[in-house]
Amino acid sequence: MTKPVIAIAGLTACSGCQLTLFNCEEELPQVAERFSFASFPMGLSGGNECAPIDAAFVEGAVSTPEDLETLLNLRNRSRLLVAIGTCALWGGIAAMKNNESRKELAETIYGDSAHSIKTFAPGPLQRFVTVDFSITGCPPEKGELLTTLASLLHGTLPVFPGYPVCTECRNRENLCLLIERNEMCLGPLIQAGCNARCPTVSIKCEGCRGPAAEANVASEMELLLGKGFSRREIASRMRRFYPEWNYEQRY
Amino acid sequence: MSNVIEIKPLTRVEGHGVARIYLDGKRAERVELALTEPPRLFEALLLGKSFEEVPEIICRICSLCSTIHRVTSLLAVENALGVNVSPVTRLYRELIVNGGHIQSHALHLFCLVLPDYFNVASFAELAIQNPDLLKLGLKIKGVGNLIQETIGGRLIHPVNIIPGGMGKRLNRDELMKLQEALEAILPDTVKAYDLFASFDALGPPLPRSSFMAVQGETATPFFGDRLNLSNGRSVSAANYREVLHETVVRHSNAKQSLFEGEETVVGALARLNVGIKLSSRAGQAFFNAREKLIAADIWSNNLAQAAELILAVELSLEIIATLLNFDKGSDKPVTIARQKGSGSAATEAPRGVLIHSYSFDNRGFCTTADIITPTAINQSAMERDLLALAREMEGADDAELKLKLEMLVRAYDPCISCAVHLVRL
Repeated sequence: MTKPVIAIAGLTACSGCQLTLFNCEEELPQVAERFSFASFPMGLSGGNECAPIDAAFVEGAVSTPEDLETLLNLRNRSRLLVAIGTCALWGGIAAMKNNESRKELAETIYGDSAHSIKTFAPGPLQRFVTVDFSITGCPPEKGELLTTLASLLHGTLPVFPGYPVCTECRNRENLCLLIERNEMCLGPLIQAGCNARCPTVSIKCEGCRGPAAEANVASEMELLLGKGFSRREIASRMRRFYPEWNYEQRY
Repeated sequence: MSNVIEIKPLTRVEGHGVARIYLDGKRAERVELALTEPPRLFEALLLGKSFEEVPEIICRICSLCSTIHRVTSLLAVENALGVNVSPVTRLYRELIVNGGHIQSHALHLFCLVLPDYFNVASFAELAIQNPDLLKLGLKIKGVGNLIQETIGGRLIHPVNIIPGGMGKRLNRDELMKLQEALEAILPDTVKAYDLFASFDALGPPLPRSSFMAVQGETATPFFGDRLNLSNGRSVSAANYREVLHETVVRHSNAKQSLFEGEETVVGALARLNVGIKLSSRAGQAFFNAREKLIAADIWSNNLAQAAELILAVELSLEIIATLLNFDKGSDKPVTIARQKGSGSAATEAPRGVLIHSYSFDNRGFCTTADIITPTAINQSAMERDLLALAREMEGADDAELKLKLEMLVRAYDPCISCAVHLVRL
């Protein structure tokens, strides 16, 4: 059997999704054996910038002309384009202030030199190209990445949960931080698959995996406002990984 | 007539960078190291965020060093708001930082750098050509990650360490599992060090630098309140702005930081040269190969990182032994009042000196943020060394020159996402 050809690239991001592959210490040698890498700048030198690709894994949001060029190049060459991580899928941490002027944000940092910096409001991959499959999370779960790679070897793709973090949290019999401790936990809105990592160590869900299917946003808002949190605080936290919530959404 | 040799992209480093060598005839005239990472604007993202949110957001600056960014941010927030945490909390933070150093150094040494010593292009080729060595490194790396995941609740971007304390402390079983795993890899780290000590330098001798590291009178390695230089200079870390000056460079999205106008080098090699306190086996290892480390050029940074693998494992074991003797006590973090304040903190990230500094208004919302990263400090020494190496190799063919220059950049272990961040508001 010929080895599937994959490419891994990062756009505007922290390299955490690519590091997640390196963090599969047990499995990495097998991944190296079973796949052929067309390009993976963080992991290998050389690489081939023209070869066709079976699956391209792209981390990060798109915020510069170079990001877009990399993305279009990979889209054109690949059979499957996989968005890996919250930035690629939802915009992520870089997009949290997309309601403010990108130019002014850049000036805050670079002062008068900001004009020479080419950057636009960070957006998810699907705003620019067709995305065939996504692995969410900041960082993504190792298990979901490995499941995807293993499925590719069998010519298929996995199905990940669309239900919220609360489902997993209840299964783990954690204390409910939202109801019982009155904390601003976003568990009811957020896509599961992390096995409720944070609430399991008594830390409220920060929403790093993005919206669950049919998230009941309006109800969560009412609940949090009722607990005395200000609209500003709630919005600030909710926008951290996904700036486009519909606060009126109800199911 | 000038001619440009371009290395694009720099590979096997974190983030996006390009190196350009401008030639005049055969002679390298100047060098540009362009950190082309998309602007991250983190300092602007932090403005208006509550003190609780700041550490949770800022750790996303970079995945390789998310733990140390998180811890440094916590320390700066707590300094700003006058919070004292318990000794147990401090120990857990030290332990997770050591875990971070183990994972980061092992990643760099075995997945990114080792292929250079075996003339292959990647870990994937190494996996075929020399699988046992790669597995040795991955085993060490895995234990660093086990520490980070057990304490942090997550591998990257740890969640369990928060302002004032921790969400949930470890139980005895978890601590003992870490202890067992660390004891198992201690001999492996010595093996790794011997391996790197057996290699010749990857290139010709390069300029020597002054080194800088964070130290404190009583503080443990990687923490402290002073910036000490190998030339004897010492300044309070809180006054870092008086000595570290940042400038915007036209060709790069990162700002360069110079120490009183001169380049200085930070990182594992700098720490050993400034005189980090070494544990027994790490001290022995250092002594055995001291002539390769003392006042050495940057090629030796790889070996210095290997020495720190031993150090971080030994330190972790010491911390766990202390934690096992503590009564479990209350898990509850210190309650923090929302108030006005400013504060900073300096630590040693795997790649060197890291400084976070914040101000908060009377409702605890962030009004200024400033972050100095090791790669921003190293950037000008990297350019200086690239030029020196290109001149040393005058006449070499392009492919060979590019290969060596890339190895040189890798020896600095740059973290480009970190460097292209933000900066003073």
